[in-house]
Amino acid sequence: MTPGVLGQVGLVLALSFALLGLVLAGYAWWARDGRYVEAAKRAALFSLLGALVAFFALEWALLTDDFSIVYTVKNHSTKSPTWVKFATLWAALEGSILLWATFQALYTWLAARGLRDYWMAPGVLGVLFGIQVFFFAVMLFVTNPFLPVPNPPTEGPGPNPLLQNHWMMAVHPVLMYLGFVGISVPFAHAVAAMLARRYQSWIETTRWWTLVAFGFLTLAIFAGAWWSYEVLGWGGYWGWDPVENASFIPWLLLAAFLHTALVQERRGLFKPWNFAFITLAFAATVFGTFLTRSGVVQSVHAFTEGAVGPVFLGFLLLVLFVGFGLLSRVASEVRDVGGVPLLSREGLLLGGALVFSTMAFVVVLGTLYPLFVEAFTGDKVSVGAPFFNSVFAPLGAVLLFLMGAAPVLPWGRVDAWARRVLLGMLAALALGFVAALALGATVGVALGVGLFLYNLVSAGAQVGRAVAARRRQGWGAALIGYLTQGRRHFGAQVVHAGVALAALAIVFSQAYRVDVQKTLNVGETAKLAGIEVRLERLHAFDEGYRYVVEAVVEAKGIGTFRPRLNYYKTMNAPLAAPSVRYGPTENYYFILQAFDQDAGRWATLRLVLTPMVFWLWVAGGVIAFGLFYMVLPLGRSRRSVPGGEVAA
Amino acid sequence: MKGKYLIGALLILGALGYLIFGGLSQSLTYFITPSEYFQNPAKYAGKRVRLGGLVKPGTVRFNRDTLELRFVLTDGVAEVPVEHHGTPPALFKERQGVVVEGRFKGQTFVGDTLLVKHSETYQPPKEGYTPEEVRKLIEEAK
Repeated sequence: MTPGVLGQVGLVLALSFALLGLVLAGYAWWARDGRYVEAAKRAALFSLLGALVAFFALEWALLTDDFSIVYTVKNHSTKSPTWVKFATLWAALEGSILLWATFQALYTWLAARGLRDYWMAPGVLGVLFGIQVFFFAVMLFVTNPFLPVPNPPTEGPGPNPLLQNHWMMAVHPVLMYLGFVGISVPFAHAVAAMLARRYQSWIETTRWWTLVAFGFLTLAIFAGAWWSYEVLGWGGYWGWDPVENASFIPWLLLAAFLHTALVQERRGLFKPWNFAFITLAFAATVFGTFLTRSGVVQSVHAFTEGAVGPVFLGFLLLVLFVGFGLLSRVASEVRDVGGVPLLSREGLLLGGALVFSTMAFVVVLGTLYPLFVEAFTGDKVSVGAPFFNSVFAPLGAVLLFLMGAAPVLPWGRVDAWARRVLLGMLAALALGFVAALALGATVGVALGVGLFLYNLVSAGAQVGRAVAARRRQGWGAALIGYLTQGRRHFGAQVVHAGVALAALAIVFSQAYRVDVQKTLNVGETAKLAGIEVRLERLHAFDEGYRYVVEAVVEAKGIGTFRPRLNYYKTMNAPLAAPSVRYGPTENYYFILQAFDQDAGRWATLRLVLTPMVFWLWVAGGVIAFGLFYMVLPLGRSRRSVPGGEVAA
Repeated sequence: MKGKYLIGALLILGALGYLIFGGLSQSLTYFITPSEYFQNPAKYAGKRVRLGGLVKPGTVRFNRDTLELRFVLTDGVAEVPVEHHGTPPALFKERQGVVVEGRFKGQTFVGDTLLVKHSETYQPPKEGYTPEEVRKLIEEAK
């Protein structure tokens, strides 16, 4: 038995059982017979086992340097460190699809275990198995990593060096796929709900999945930004590159869905919106893969591989057709009766969801616009970061405004408490705005500061009110009671505070960025952006799988920096590895730009100062913490408790 | 009441449309080669452009103290002198495919961003290449 054969067997098993599950689910639906649902649930387990066999077969090949299959020949190197070898599984297309499919099988199995609803189960299982069939079929027939290689070499090129430069790259794709795949569960429930015409219960059953998927996506996006910052060596963390956009679009649409789903859960409104948003969010995960893997748009990452593109495009159209086809069929049954008052929690939540989805539209438009222009005029154009920034700044401000106000308002109206708190929030907004202006900030920065304080007051007032509502138990017990029973409420406050902090960090890091460069002789001292910098040493050494040129830089009062250029044998260009030091307000980022290749006497250094970028990473952690706090299985979150009732 | 909402919605949509499509037309960056530029210089005058081509051998001048880089960018037919301030990326070789982003100032192209196109598969083109070949090469290089 070789890894290649084992892998093929695993794939065939996974595909066969997924197909079997699909057929069983379909028959269960047609015959209205619960026994077939139980059989389909068992098929989910066997499909998962097949996927795991394929997964371990590929790891086996990678960890034992087996070059008898295409995947290792194209992406593996015996010289990689062990963790890189392990992570090479998801460093290229075929392996990424395998990871995705394995997670899909895992989620199908987990979601199947929790299915109780006789009417919903066949539809949910059918959709999840359908997705699974797609992925395993793509792997077997389009991008099979286990295809045998006639004359196995003894060494390969190794994974893309960009992915080897930082441990984060081993984690980021895993988080991303955990998020992407998580969206398939609520989507499957939505389709089942429209098939079974049970429009309400799916919202509550899938809340856990939606939050988990959103949590993983959030972590993945922040991890990607961090990687971009610490590895790509361009001194920024977000460049509106198609690859980044591909991960951001599902996040935005899922955010929209989360907020309208909340309204449906509590008020029974917005059913069509929820069906639409979850279909779009799931479609966006497929769209993202199509975008980044098909080569239709140029990307600095450009991990393009042609053949998969059309297949994913077809799948994307199928998803949209199923979601919106069913929605149009049931549209008359799910329509909301009566209007929604604008100034109420549900009104502002819908507003927020519309801003989120507008943002998603803008990202799609900006990413695809060059294609339209080329199709109609023949001109090659690109849409740069300034476009996205100029649209996202005002939309973001509106979103921050709604984020603070919506949870303060009661359902359906405005009450006296909400008026008082809103007044306080607006006062904080004005105060922060004016104070920042007085300190010399620009209008944009001042607005950022104001909106940050506005949201802090909002979160503080809500937490205070929820705790105070339990004060008869004594304040300590009230706080503990709130933190355990009002987990959804508290988690939402934490998430919103994290978003406000992230926005503030983005505003500051964009507005006060300093980017300077200078050439120094070894031993020379100079001032860069007001900092006394000395180039101590310039040296080169061999690390086996790469060759390193390193500058040792002493920044007075801050510390020693070691920016380097890593030369990989497979790339004819070096990769700049910046040397980064985080502080509470300032962030120092040195890049080795160029050096004297003849005698090693001088080096050109670039220093980027990005204030508050540290807090952006903190904010990412805070948001993810809040999201996972909401779904923690600690006791039961009660809605009858006052803190739960005001809960967002 | 309904009319008021309609007007509000139209206002918001109008502002959004202006924001999005105004922003798009302003931040579009054309990607051209030198010979495409010379076909219609007026079209690109004062506009932000991504100029792609190969670095002509023997034309690279770099001042390490002022960090000023000058070279001639060619697509085999036409050439443009380029002035770029800031360090060249570590790999900057003659005959290398590069994309410079910036604006034309008179006959010179003044760039502020320089992307070196490189990949494992990158091969410098043979003699007698056409602008289309150069362009394809640059676009396909990673």
